[in-house]
Amino acid sequence: MKTDELLINMGPVHPSTHGVLRFKLTMDGEIIRNCEIVMGYLHRGTEKLGEMKTYMQFVPYTDRLDYMSAFANNYAYVKAVEELAGIEVPLRAEYIRVLTLELNRIVNHLVMIGSLLLDLGASTMIMYGFRERENALALFDMLCGARMTFNYIKPGGVREDMPEGFIPKLNEFINDMDKRIDDYEQLVSGNEIFMGRMKGIGVMSAQDAINYGMTGPSLRGHGVNYDIRKLEPYSVYPDLDFKVCVRNECDSFARYMVRIDEMRESLHILRQVVDAMPPAKPASQAKYGIAPMTGAPTAVSTYFPRIFTPPPGEVYSRIEAPKGELGFYIVSDGTIKPYRIKIRSPSFCNLTAIPKMVEGLMIPDLIAAFGTIDVVLGDVDR
Amino acid sequence: MLFLAMWTGDIMFANAYELIVFILNFIGIYEPINNIFKTLGIEYILRIIIVFAEIAVLLVFALLTIMFLTWMERKVVAMVQARYGPMVTGPRGLLQPVMDGVKLIGKEDIIPAKADRWVFTLAPFLVFIPALLIFIPLPFGESLIISDLKVGLLYLIAISALSPIAILLAGWSSNNKYSLMGAMRAVAQDISYTIPLALSAIAIVLFTGSLSTVDIVTAQNGTWFGFIPKWFIFLQPLGFILFLIASIAEMGRIPFDFQESEQELVAGFFTEYSGIKFAMFFLAEYAHLFSVSAIVVTLFLGGWSFPYLSLLPAAVVPLISLGVFLVKTYAVIFFAMWLRHTVPRVRIDQLLNLGWKIMIPLALLNLLVTGFLLTIGVFQ
Amino acid sequence: MTWITRNWTMSGIIKGLIVTMKHMLRVGNRPTVTIQYPYQKMKVSPRFRGLHAVDENACIGCGICEVNCPNGTIQIVKYKTRWYPQVNIGMCLFCGLCVDVCPMNAMKMTGNYELADYSRESLVYGPDRLLFNKEVKQ
Ligand code: SF4
Ligand code: SF4
Repeated sequence: MKTDELLINMGPVHPSTHGVLRFKLTMDGEIIRNCEIVMGYLHRGTEKLGEMKTYMQFVPYTDRLDYMSAFANNYAYVKAVEELAGIEVPLRAEYIRVLTLELNRIVNHLVMIGSLLLDLGASTMIMYGFRERENALALFDMLCGARMTFNYIKPGGVREDMPEGFIPKLNEFINDMDKRIDDYEQLVSGNEIFMGRMKGIGVMSAQDAINYGMTGPSLRGHGVNYDIRKLEPYSVYPDLDFKVCVRNECDSFARYMVRIDEMRESLHILRQVVDAMPPAKPASQAKYGIAPMTGAPTAVSTYFPRIFTPPPGEVYSRIEAPKGELGFYIVSDGTIKPYRIKIRSPSFCNLTAIPKMVEGLMIPDLIAAFGTIDVVLGDVDR
Repeated sequence: MLFLAMWTGDIMFANAYELIVFILNFIGIYEPINNIFKTLGIEYILRIIIVFAEIAVLLVFALLTIMFLTWMERKVVAMVQARYGPMVTGPRGLLQPVMDGVKLIGKEDIIPAKADRWVFTLAPFLVFIPALLIFIPLPFGESLIISDLKVGLLYLIAISALSPIAILLAGWSSNNKYSLMGAMRAVAQDISYTIPLALSAIAIVLFTGSLSTVDIVTAQNGTWFGFIPKWFIFLQPLGFILFLIASIAEMGRIPFDFQESEQELVAGFFTEYSGIKFAMFFLAEYAHLFSVSAIVVTLFLGGWSFPYLSLLPAAVVPLISLGVFLVKTYAVIFFAMWLRHTVPRVRIDQLLNLGWKIMIPLALLNLLVTGFLLTIGVFQ
Repeated sequence: MTWITRNWTMSGIIKGLIVTMKHMLRVGNRPTVTIQYPYQKMKVSPRFRGLHAVDENACIGCGICEVNCPNGTIQIVKYKTRWYPQVNIGMCLFCGLCVDVCPMNAMKMTGNYELADYSRESLVYGPDRLLFNKEVKQ
């Protein structure tokens, strides 16, 4: 009998490509022989936009890169600007930043696990994840007045100090989350069908993973102890006690478990941050709306001029975003706008490993492996 | 009178037709009507009318059940997922299925340009009609059965085996790769799961010696030691588990919903369907859910029988037994829904492995042991 | 043959079923947090960045907000003998930069987030819809 290879276009509109991504699959029956990734459907020219805006104006645009972890994007960009200009940040601001970053990591992993399970057909986990995320978003809302696009971390500090009643709510959230993560583990991690779908699927050697430029939890599932918070400490991370979660199995299940471990670790960090938070000066308790205008130093931000012209030069700064290494490369020519901005986004680099990962597997495995890579298309296409 | 005769027992009817005739007789209008038809020489018309009345009742029942099931599914999902589910139309969203129906009927009925139009149109009917036909030999309660076929069980398995053909037609005629793959998967799955399904049902037949569903239910009447109901689940635990898994696969629900595999194949074999045709697949799915659960109840959970049901006055037994049957069926349906929203989907090769390498050998083993134990007379 | 070495007691699935059952019966701290939107509304924080509001007495029409808006959302227009900002909500990021830079603290953002409208024109909020009078408000 004559058989033919079947070409399937998975996407750009498909339930489980997390947005507009296209896989060109060459199938032999149910087996994937070749997988080609076609991206760029969500290209918005963010890097170019950055060259059109002043340093301050570009911050809200970074929110829209990886909208699941907007704080990390804010921070990565702001950190680059601060390094460029040599701005010192008040300690309290740094603690608030770490607090938001870790909270954001939890939110990101909740969504990642939820959508992974949704891709596998279990629709319940995402609802639980979103319920907890809702609480976290309420915290974000209290903190910065927006639920997803924060524009909270600004060069020189953060926009406003924490409002009253924030820390008790945060503590409540942290205590809740402990039990909720136990629930997730019971619901998901031990499930035989889930293990059958994840264990031994999407295997790739650590060497290959490094060669493809994978970073973040996805890489740590391959047994590589690589975490920029430890390797190139920034902010107040050196003062905090946390461990890097690594799993050695190199498969989808390991990548998933790293996320669960990281959520617990983030809770641990959050507790320390809450304890170690430097006290606020009374002046910084200003309510929204009568906050001091940009430029004036407050308890949570140093002086940042309204017309900001950094010295000519270039800087590359990277942080450990929830999805991996997020780097901003900024070239300044001494004017009010950057000369060039380049974003090294974790989703893009991690995504390129997919074809290698799924060769010889089936469509369901492609979806499982793709889910564990944790990609946000806004981050891939920029 | 007759009522007293019923009260004291002994009157049982083979099927709903006889029950209707009895009730008409009881009210005292059967004879006059029958005489009218007799004088016209067309008594068979009366019979046809009664049968049509039965069918109408069944259809209404089936549609109401399906509508209720869609509502229930949403509510159960919502409860599992800590949500509310439909709340707006009607009390607690009870009228939501009606609204859904209105919406689906109002949708444009799209036929893809390169589809095989005739097969594409035929397939939804081929799915929908067997789903209703399954209801015929289901014993809803004492005397409440459309027709007590001598080969009831065989009929049930045969009719439910029709649906893969229709699904294949739907998938193939859509001229869509996802549909085709969904259809292929559905057929592979149905073939591999009908076998353990039938094998574990045969183990029941060894006990009853009859394929008639009524016989199977009556065989489960009564108790052991006065409190354990004589249901086959206690005699056939392995058979029950196999049958349950196979029937969940047969219903095509997560963890075995390969015909749809929403996240993999968009919507599987009905990717290209819309409007009223889509509604038919949808209705058939829920009709299937009900009927397969009803079969599980009939075979393993005692059907409409319940310990000490015979102590009740015979006049109310049909109603009570209907209630018992529905409660049991909805319990099974609830389990299916609960499971659906707890576990992920298995992979197609894992599913086939499970079917061919584990369930069929186990079902054969179950059959062998049952037959052996029956032959040496353990159960007599 | 790896599938045969798996755990066939399905204890993991049963545990999962217990978790979902606990949620169904709302045992422990497992609440429903759904907000039935058109009937109930979410309580947003006082800092929420919704529709703008401009203090009629404080605004001096300096246009600093116009310059600093990353999207060119704001235009300074003439209204009742003075100049005030006009905000095109359709282009707004709700980033709050205009609030930060206002030298007179005239620009504010309210908790109003229900901004959908039927036409693009009605998304342009002129001073007549943005202005508020601080004395009257307090
Ligand atoms: S709102 Fe503030 S920044 Fe804008 S024109 Fe008025 S005073 Fe100037
Ligand atoms: S919130 Fe941001 S985008 Fe909107 S008007 Fe103010 S500065 Fe412009």
